[in-house]
Amino acid sequence: MKHFTILIKYDFVKRIRSYTFLITLCASLAIAYTFVPAPGACYSTISISDYVGEYNSAWLGYVSAMMSSILLSLMGFYLVNGEIQKDKSTRVGQIMAATQIRNSKYLFAKVISNFLLLLTILGIIFSMNIALFFMYGHDYSFELVHFIKPYLVLTVPAIFFIAVLSLVFEVVFGKYTILQNVVFFFCFTSLLVYKPKTELGFALDVFGDKIVANHLEEKVSILNGSDQQERLNIGYTINKGNANKKFTFSGFNFPTSFLVSRILWVCLGFVLILGITPLFHRFNIQAAPANDKKLKNSLESKFSKGNITLNNLPTIKPNFGILPLVKMEMLMLLRKGKRWLWSVNILGMGALCFLPMDIAHKIVLPILWFLQVHRLSDLMTKDKAHDVHYLSSSSKSPIKRLLNAQLIAAIILLSVLSSPLVIRQILILNNVLAAVSILLGSVFLVLLSALMGLVSKGKKLFELTFFLMTYANINAISFLDYFGGLKIGISQSLTIIALCSVILPLVYIMRNWNLKRS
Amino acid sequence: MGLVVNGILIVHHETNSVHHSFFHFISHSKTFEKIINPIQMELAIQNVSKKYKKNKYGLKDFSLTIEKGILGLLGPNGAGKSTLLKMIATINKPTEGVICLNKNNIVKDPDYMRQQLGFLPQDFGVYPNLNAIEFLSYIAAMKGVGGLGLKQKINRLLEGLNLNDVAQKPIGSYSGGMKQRIGIAQVLLNDPKVVIFDEPTVGLDPEERVQFRNLISDLANDCVVILSSHIVSDIDSIADKVAVMKDGGLMAYHNPDELIALVNGMVYETMISKEELPEFKSNHLVVSTSRKGAQIAVRYITRNGNQPTHRKKANLEDAYLYLTKKHRA
Repeated sequence: MKHFTILIKYDFVKRIRSYTFLITLCASLAIAYTFVPAPGACYSTISISDYVGEYNSAWLGYVSAMMSSILLSLMGFYLVNGEIQKDKSTRVGQIMAATQIRNSKYLFAKVISNFLLLLTILGIIFSMNIALFFMYGHDYSFELVHFIKPYLVLTVPAIFFIAVLSLVFEVVFGKYTILQNVVFFFCFTSLLVYKPKTELGFALDVFGDKIVANHLEEKVSILNGSDQQERLNIGYTINKGNANKKFTFSGFNFPTSFLVSRILWVCLGFVLILGITPLFHRFNIQAAPANDKKLKNSLESKFSKGNITLNNLPTIKPNFGILPLVKMEMLMLLRKGKRWLWSVNILGMGALCFLPMDIAHKIVLPILWFLQVHRLSDLMTKDKAHDVHYLSSSSKSPIKRLLNAQLIAAIILLSVLSSPLVIRQILILNNVLAAVSILLGSVFLVLLSALMGLVSKGKKLFELTFFLMTYANINAISFLDYFGGLKIGISQSLTIIALCSVILPLVYIMRNWNLKRS
Repeated sequence: MGLVVNGILIVHHETNSVHHSFFHFISHSKTFEKIINPIQMELAIQNVSKKYKKNKYGLKDFSLTIEKGILGLLGPNGAGKSTLLKMIATINKPTEGVICLNKNNIVKDPDYMRQQLGFLPQDFGVYPNLNAIEFLSYIAAMKGVGGLGLKQKINRLLEGLNLNDVAQKPIGSYSGGMKQRIGIAQVLLNDPKVVIFDEPTVGLDPEERVQFRNLISDLANDCVVILSSHIVSDIDSIADKVAVMKDGGLMAYHNPDELIALVNGMVYETMISKEELPEFKSNHLVVSTSRKGAQIAVRYITRNGNQPTHRKKANLEDAYLYLTKKHRA
């Protein structure tokens, strides 16, 4: 047991000392601040019809717990995902594999460490929301139980399950990171739109927010005198001038069956870990295929069997153009991931050709671009991740040539993927502005990935942001529309151009700075 | 006054303006250099320092002039070898001092060096999902080399390094030694004039190391080759000059024979029991130990010539240890 706790402790310490964690903490604080809108704010996070609760302890506690449960589940997955891969790349995994530790123990240690990490962030969010109560809820008494109860019942089991799920996905899908992302995306969105009405239904909701949402909806329906139950809106919604009515929410007593279900979710997590233990590779993943004769021969053959005569090598010419680099960067983007996954991209392009324009533009395009997340997220960090950075740093004009080539290649990739839609917009609808918006969207996305990669020196910040953006786009939150899916107009295009004009110099500055510090 | 370039004496007048403009032309005209002096190479490191924090130096007031041939760079961990190599490779910039290649300041104009550089870093990595040809094409594009000969050159290099059969396989499936050979191939892509090898024999077996040493010797006919290694025997047999570094400074810079001469007559061997070894180690600079039955043969260095033991012929390893742990001898 002592060894187990030491394992968890240092895994946890290693992770909280990372730069990504620091960024995540700052982002969490900023997001937590927005969970409860300031009185008079132009947006709402949870509302039922045109009702919001009075800012008492219960409302603030439950609202922030529900929001945390959903957003931390989403963010958390990306934050804690990829820990086995990290052990593999740092080669610590091989040392671990040579010790007596059991696979199940290793996986449990990872889950607990994942959970502690998310719990730390939750602690920060929790504290921020108590602080918000003292800022906004002057007329009400502070009741700690209304903060603790929903967090304990709703959020803690939810983030534990997410900590398990991220590890389960990593073990089951292995190196297919794109599959992990896509499957999680669909699981997450399906759970979000899931509307249970029965006790069993509420028990099946891992986020746990549906039961509270149902209670709030019923309460407002009674206030409205309506037979039909009002719908609770969760997420960031802009109030278009309609003043929200207030009602008093004084907490909720969770039924025993629901409380049992929360414990069962935690138990299911443990069962899942035990279930995937036989599938864990224990870092025995040497890829050299024994049946590949040529490779086997070459592994056995020696450098000494070859012979280089330097004087006989063909002469080469200098070519400082950017085109060969763009070509090679393109090739690397195309090679990323498994080949069969390209069939999904081709299907997506087909959907852009034939589906109704509205669906193609608003839903298919952001999803198709999101499927490239693994290609975009390490655009700026792949050389460091693969120890090629010394070669790129000592290459001729790395900023002018290599950086530009990387950006151009990624923009070409996104533009080609969106080309059926662009052509349809121009040829069929004669809507050049929409086509321009799409192309600007691809430029914006690439620049954003480059900046986030350079700032965070990793992939996760962009992966998480891109996920949130895609989720917002599909849910028609126009604030995050970067490709003209929701509002096409000059002002939207100008906004994106302005953003790109700000990000582009930042990318150059950051890349230059990183090069100097490599 | 005159300037000797490749044995040609260039005479010029003492007139100040002419003097200035002539030397300006000599030092700044790359075209001139290529015309009259295609193979002269000089890498001058002048008073270079790399400061990390207050009073924390990676390299301190380091000066060295390197000419065509092989320079072996020796030093314990933390001596500043990698810092120096990264600065020569234009990856890092010195906090003070200049580094000049053929009188061109490469700190200000790194691209001058980059066009002529072949660098095999210690932590050399590859993109695992590219095959050998694609990876080398990518590096060639980064280095800015191309033309019709490129494909042929890549094929010849892969053939020469015995990687031709697996050239179409993803590099991710290669063994450590094969990846190292890819690293060597990428060094040679751009006909480099300055070649830096940082721990190049890692992953190569003894047979391959011999072959690699031959390759370096060939390269040294036309280039400045800097070879950093912990394996003294790798450097011993091929280096024209050896620089020994410690604590960010230069301890010695000589040819191997001159370095060995520093410890001539100071190397001894004696037989002691296992129990005596710890005390012996604390009083002497021990180079190596080997078991000989119940006894242990100890090779050590001492400045005290009055030793009751066998005197041994000194080698480069003795000289290196003496220079870096002199206080214990």
